[in-house]
Amino acid sequence: MAISSVDKHARQRSLEILREKFATIAKRILEGKKPVLIMPKRVLSNTIYDMKKKLLLLGPEMKRRSLLDVNEARKFMQTLLMASIIYEALVNDEYPTIRDLYYRGKHTISYRDISGKIHHENTWDEQRESDAVIRDIEVFLGVLREEMLILSKEKGKVVGNLIIRSGDDVIDLSKMGHGAYAIEPTPDLIEFKDIDAEFVLVVEKDAVFQQLHRYGFWKKYKAILITSAGQPDRATRRFVRRLSEELKLPIYILTDADPYGWYIYSVFKIGSITLSYESERLATPNAKFIGVSMTDIFGEEEAAKNINKLASIFGKEIKEVISKPRKKAYLSEKERRNYIIKAKKKDVERAVELIGYDVADKLIRNPEIKKYIRQKKLGVSGYPWFRTPEWIKEISIFFSKLAKLEIEAMASKGLKFLADTYIPTKIETGDWID
Amino acid sequence: MGVMSAVAPAERYRAISPAEFFYKYREIAGFSNPARALYQAVREFVENALDATDSHGILPNIKIIIEKADENREFYRVTVEDNGIGLPPHVVPEAFGRVLFSSKYILRQTRGMFGLGAKVAILYGQMTTGRPVEVITSQPNLRRIYYFKLRIDINKNEPIIIERGSWRKNRDWHGTIVSMTLEGDWSRAKQRIKDYILRTAVVTPYANIVFITPDGEIYYYERVIDKLPRPPKEVKPHPYGVDLELMKRIRDGGSFSTVKEMLMKSFQGIGKVTASSLLEIAGISPDLSPKSLSDRQLLELVNAMKNYKRFRAPTSEALSPLGEEVIKAGLKRIYEPEFVEAVTRKPSAYQGHPFIVEVGIAFGGKVPLSSDKYPTLLRYANKIPLLYDEGSDVSTAVIKEDISWDQYLVKLPAPIIVLVHICSTKIPFKGVGKESIADVKEIRNEIKLAIQEVARRLRLYLSKKLKEEEKKKRVVSLAKYVPEIVRALTIILGDGQGVKAELLEEKLVEIVSLRTGIPKDEVHKVVKSVEIGV
Repeated sequence: MAISSVDKHARQRSLEILREKFATIAKRILEGKKPVLIMPKRVLSNTIYDMKKKLLLLGPEMKRRSLLDVNEARKFMQTLLMASIIYEALVNDEYPTIRDLYYRGKHTISYRDISGKIHHENTWDEQRESDAVIRDIEVFLGVLREEMLILSKEKGKVVGNLIIRSGDDVIDLSKMGHGAYAIEPTPDLIEFKDIDAEFVLVVEKDAVFQQLHRYGFWKKYKAILITSAGQPDRATRRFVRRLSEELKLPIYILTDADPYGWYIYSVFKIGSITLSYESERLATPNAKFIGVSMTDIFGEEEAAKNINKLASIFGKEIKEVISKPRKKAYLSEKERRNYIIKAKKKDVERAVELIGYDVADKLIRNPEIKKYIRQKKLGVSGYPWFRTPEWIKEISIFFSKLAKLEIEAMASKGLKFLADTYIPTKIETGDWID
Repeated sequence: MGVMSAVAPAERYRAISPAEFFYKYREIAGFSNPARALYQAVREFVENALDATDSHGILPNIKIIIEKADENREFYRVTVEDNGIGLPPHVVPEAFGRVLFSSKYILRQTRGMFGLGAKVAILYGQMTTGRPVEVITSQPNLRRIYYFKLRIDINKNEPIIIERGSWRKNRDWHGTIVSMTLEGDWSRAKQRIKDYILRTAVVTPYANIVFITPDGEIYYYERVIDKLPRPPKEVKPHPYGVDLELMKRIRDGGSFSTVKEMLMKSFQGIGKVTASSLLEIAGISPDLSPKSLSDRQLLELVNAMKNYKRFRAPTSEALSPLGEEVIKAGLKRIYEPEFVEAVTRKPSAYQGHPFIVEVGIAFGGKVPLSSDKYPTLLRYANKIPLLYDEGSDVSTAVIKEDISWDQYLVKLPAPIIVLVHICSTKIPFKGVGKESIADVKEIRNEIKLAIQEVARRLRLYLSKKLKEEEKKKRVVSLAKYVPEIVRALTIILGDGQGVKAELLEEKLVEIVSLRTGIPKDEVHKVVKSVEIGV
């Protein structure tokens, strides 16, 4: 097997690091010292946006997880338990998924309290808990889960004029019929053999991916078509990054016109908060947000209306970006009425998290929503990577209209419109947010 | 004044003998039915027995025997034996055979007030069974032991001696044994009587008490402390508590040459100056002979004394509180609690009567669970347990309304007992049953302060205990993970490579013990209790 040597090497290295790290813990215990695991903090406050690299990175703060801290004892136990399961899988040449690890480690601990009453406690209850422990082990060891040969469910799909080698097989991604190639959990083991494409289009929605695939979009426009099917998993992000980095293809991201879509784009581009330790490997700094943007729906005049309010927060410079309307809306007034959806409170909240409370407070006109946001999100400062003139313009329209739109709506205006007008025009005119 | 209120009706009914009167109105003394009568008889003799011992500095040995005295009828023989000061032989017939004859017509705290109850019991026994009372007694300085068999002549209120005798003491015995037979109802009275003796035992840890029931049960409360409560002293009445009847008795009974002398010698807190100003207020010449004073003049004097503001507070020397040590020892003897504390308040007074409030609290151990409204209450008045009418007692009002128990970390229902003892030369009883104490402002306040003081100490104890439990809980929440951690580490590091599972576990137990301050074996216990997997 071509990859087995790669595998073997990865296993060996992971095992060594595991042994070394946990030997230190055992040594501390035998010396009568407090057993602690020292690891970087995986929280928002310790996530740093590197302006230069345009990446979300893990900050320098460390946490000490001690067995003697009542609040940390359970996590301490879970971390050791998970480490021992991963260790056994590595030794036995297995490829467990994160769900396997969840099942392997889930069991009951029975004990008696001071009054002699028997209690039962599960090592963990939901997979969410064991997944978090795996992430802790990644940062504690400084070893990624892929390097420990832990798999996850395949989620991302790809089609296009691309020939790859996966394992011992060579696969032509243009010959997948109506189906698509599922991006494997260890995308670093894929070898790119041949390529005939000019750009990569990543769509958030699987349904839109299928429509564009059947329409022959990627053939017609020489594209690699990818879907993350919602929030992108690590494999999809790594695959996109490799297409950008190794094949130098431009990456365009197409999502819903709503705060969740915007965040998905930012995860591709700069990384996520929970996995900030992976950004250097997973993020694609060149990825561009192609749409659907608020200006595509409402036109740029709508943004211009907010210009003075925004200038009061961001200064005059913002006027330059906003004041020159370059394009018209892609939707007519009538289409807008048919396709746009009223934003829910949850959407507004999410948008405030991205851009900050000050912008929301200035732009939201609906008094009820305004009051609600004041109660829930007062003082939220927003993520720095969204507080750029383009995003301010985009999200300001969302606040003043309190409306969102799903990509399917663009397709219902006509698949032809989406495939042959909307996407090509956006690319040709450079109408994206970078 | 209690003495007067008891004497007054006797005078009004001079036409019939006091013995006859009390027999007719025996309900007043608590002899309304056979069950109640048996209970009351036991009480009267036990209280006399205790008065004859602890009030005279003698550590009591008391034996109570109730036995069936007739095969066919519900006759019971009640025998109470004490090791008290005994009685001089010449007063025995009077003391047991004439109603209203008592050694207790003095102003000091005693259990029974007039020695009345014992005689009503004897009367009741005589009327229901026709059997006489038997008394055996000797005093410490006497060489002989005296024996009497007596009956009361109800019409003449006179003792009839049926048999008498004496014999030489061949050991140093003193005390009294009273034995009488009455119609009773043991099955209905037994719970009350057992309760009564238990509660008496709570406040007499310095006494050996043996109780033998008709069912053949033996209850033995062994002495646990050699300290007796301070015996009460005899004192003169305080001017605030005076009334016209008492004034008349003093006028008629004494041989004072002047009214001024009478005041100075008959009351506490009246000296030359006070006597003069009182007589001036009353408009009476100080040199008059007391005998020449009219009832009207006496009334003037009483009023002057009642309104006089500058008397010293009444002396508490007549009172005999149990003392903190005795209360604690008593509660310990019966309930073996994990926490016990007591307080004896400083003497206080209401309407010229001195009183002292004492409170004890026992928590945990064998203390029974209280109701969910308020702690279990043990009430005492002059060392006598009060068993009935709890709902209308001042102490009940205090623990229900004045104290918020959760403030003292007591989560009701809880194993908690509050003992309240009020001693006074005059207990303000509610009604004739003498089972509950009236809501007198001064007394209520003292009870509240006393309970608060002891409850604060209880809170301190409970908060310490809570912290200790928290600590132990914390240990459990750490130690329960030790086996899993040891298992994981030995998997990763390999049991053979110098990392022994036993050693790791031992070390972890040591670390947990050291950091939490909980002993190693307790941590071990938790670790050993852990089972991994189902």
